[in-house]
Amino acid sequence: MEAWRLPLSSSIRGKLISAGYTSLSSISSVSSSDLARDANITEDEAFEILKLANQSSGSSSYNGSGSLINGAKNAWDMLHEEESLPRITTSCSDLDNILGGGISCRDVTEIGGVPGIGKTQIGIQLSVNVQIPREFGGLGGKAIYIDTEGSFMVERALQIAEACVEDMEEYTGYMHKHFKANQLQMKPKDILENIFYFRVCSYTEQIALVNHLDKFISENKDVKVVIVDSITFHFRQDFDDLVQRTRVLSEMALKFMKLAKKFSLAVVLLNQVTTKYTEGSFQLALALGDSWSHSCTNRVILYWNGDERYAYIDKSPSLPSASASYTVTSRGLRNSSSSSKRVKMM
Amino acid sequence: MAPLKHLEKENPIIDASFRYFCASHGIVTVEDFLLHDLEGLAAFADRQTNSDRLKEGITVMLSLVERQCHPWLNGMELLEDLQRNKHILSTGDKGTDSLLKGGFREGQVTELVGPSSSGKTQFCMQAAASVAEKHDGGVLYLDTGNSFSARRIAHFGSSSDTSLGQKVMSRISCHAVYDIYTMLETLQGLDITLRSQVQTNVNEHRLRLLVVDSISSLITPILGGNGSQGRALMVAVGYMLKKLAHEHSIAILVTNHTVGAGGEGGKTKPALGETWKSIPHARLMLSRDHKNSNCTISILKHTSMPSGQTMRITTHKANR
Repeated sequence: MEAWRLPLSSSIRGKLISAGYTSLSSISSVSSSDLARDANITEDEAFEILKLANQSSGSSSYNGSGSLINGAKNAWDMLHEEESLPRITTSCSDLDNILGGGISCRDVTEIGGVPGIGKTQIGIQLSVNVQIPREFGGLGGKAIYIDTEGSFMVERALQIAEACVEDMEEYTGYMHKHFKANQLQMKPKDILENIFYFRVCSYTEQIALVNHLDKFISENKDVKVVIVDSITFHFRQDFDDLVQRTRVLSEMALKFMKLAKKFSLAVVLLNQVTTKYTEGSFQLALALGDSWSHSCTNRVILYWNGDERYAYIDKSPSLPSASASYTVTSRGLRNSSSSSKRVKMM
Repeated sequence: MAPLKHLEKENPIIDASFRYFCASHGIVTVEDFLLHDLEGLAAFADRQTNSDRLKEGITVMLSLVERQCHPWLNGMELLEDLQRNKHILSTGDKGTDSLLKGGFREGQVTELVGPSSSGKTQFCMQAAASVAEKHDGGVLYLDTGNSFSARRIAHFGSSSDTSLGQKVMSRISCHAVYDIYTMLETLQGLDITLRSQVQTNVNEHRLRLLVVDSISSLITPILGGNGSQGRALMVAVGYMLKKLAHEHSIAILVTNHTVGAGGEGGKTKPALGETWKSIPHARLMLSRDHKNSNCTISILKHTSMPSGQTMRITTHKANR
């Protein structure tokens, strides 16, 4: 057990080690006033160190329950969990098919494309679809929409919510005819009430919000999707120091991963594109660089093919590469009505 | 260096009178003790009234110091250890196995480098499935990006029709780690657990492969900037992995991503910099040609094979 792995500032750690306290057992056996005197630090700092040392020596004791480390899960158990994991539909069945049923919870999905391809539309559609009640095959949860560009339009969200309620009522009507079913309780303004909207105006606000989300979601446990539109905006122009940008972004990515896993929700990050010079030609690639491209679980790229909008699965641990087309209608995202409706497998 | 008085709790021979004797020769910390002329100290101790106790104290101090460093091993012992304990694990893919002359070697840390979506996670999952199935070994998968998919691993069985059964899947454990301090704690806890398991001789499904996917996402947030604390933590993790691999005969597989070499904008190089380069025993580079989805794996560095060799590997198609 070494003292260097305690999360302390480097100056305090240096003082601790030069006073001879290199192992956790030596720290825990001494009182805070002795520690403060020997290591030339204040009493409060010594108290903090003792608290940290006791915490970590408690958690790294021998785990007798048979699994190798605390909290490790068996792959067989995870298999059954994965099959019953809920997914958020995108209202476009072709897109749902290539996504394996929809946007999966517990994953960070990055969706990127050229301006005007429909990223914000997908964001709004998902924040409405997550609220579809369980009886209709949805998650019955709430949504958090973090807007960095100011592109969220409430009128459009209302339009999509109304279309969603109409579809559900049509389904209820069908069910009434053939089976007994309950009347639909949901109204479009209920749907709007369940979208938590945050407007972020600088990168420091964005970082602060991400840090705050843990506490916010613990208080609002119904939240099932967090949409960030777009994650790139404040990081493209405000940063002079690119190394610091990489560090801040990777830290933010880890926080999103942790949120997704801890609360079993889906995180959707919308990204912009940039041009990259690879293999002798300029190609479109997602913004924020190479290090950021590793920070998501799944990546979907939206592009134009002639007159049609297409979505392509670029990165996924369990889905094969495929692309599908979709359209943006007044009722939201829908299947495209072209004649060749087959999904193109790569 | 620790002052001598902290050793008293566990070794009562180092009591106040011993410390007083040492202090009279200017020895207050362990470092002073190591630097002092011990024969001269023993001669001085002879002249004291409680010379036996003092000499006993000196011997206890020396034995404590010796316990800190590992015993010497000669070449024959190392060779025996290699042949008996450190086997070669198949990676699950014939091309890679023939490139690496068998596969991963237990006791070594192998690093897999590649650009985004080149197949690193797939490779890791395939290796995990292969070790669990063919070598009857336990696998621990430390996942930093929520990319562990049990469904996909089940498809990596050796026969393409059946998926892996419960016995094999239950040998693979997955744990999510999201920052470097949790990682260090986890590795420390693992070390303690494995050491106590050796004593109780639980030999069924002992841990044979540890996968960290990906270590670069844990290290990038702390690297760079002012102060070298980030690099110190990175090297600490590297040493801990190597120590785990050697002491408990585990093969360790870590993944890293690539960054563009700044300036020329031409070739990409592995992330994490020059300091990390020397930590893994073997480094493999994966690259994928998106036009015809061919994957190539090449050796960047290996302890027993020349670098630069490449091999084409096939990605396992999903069973529908």
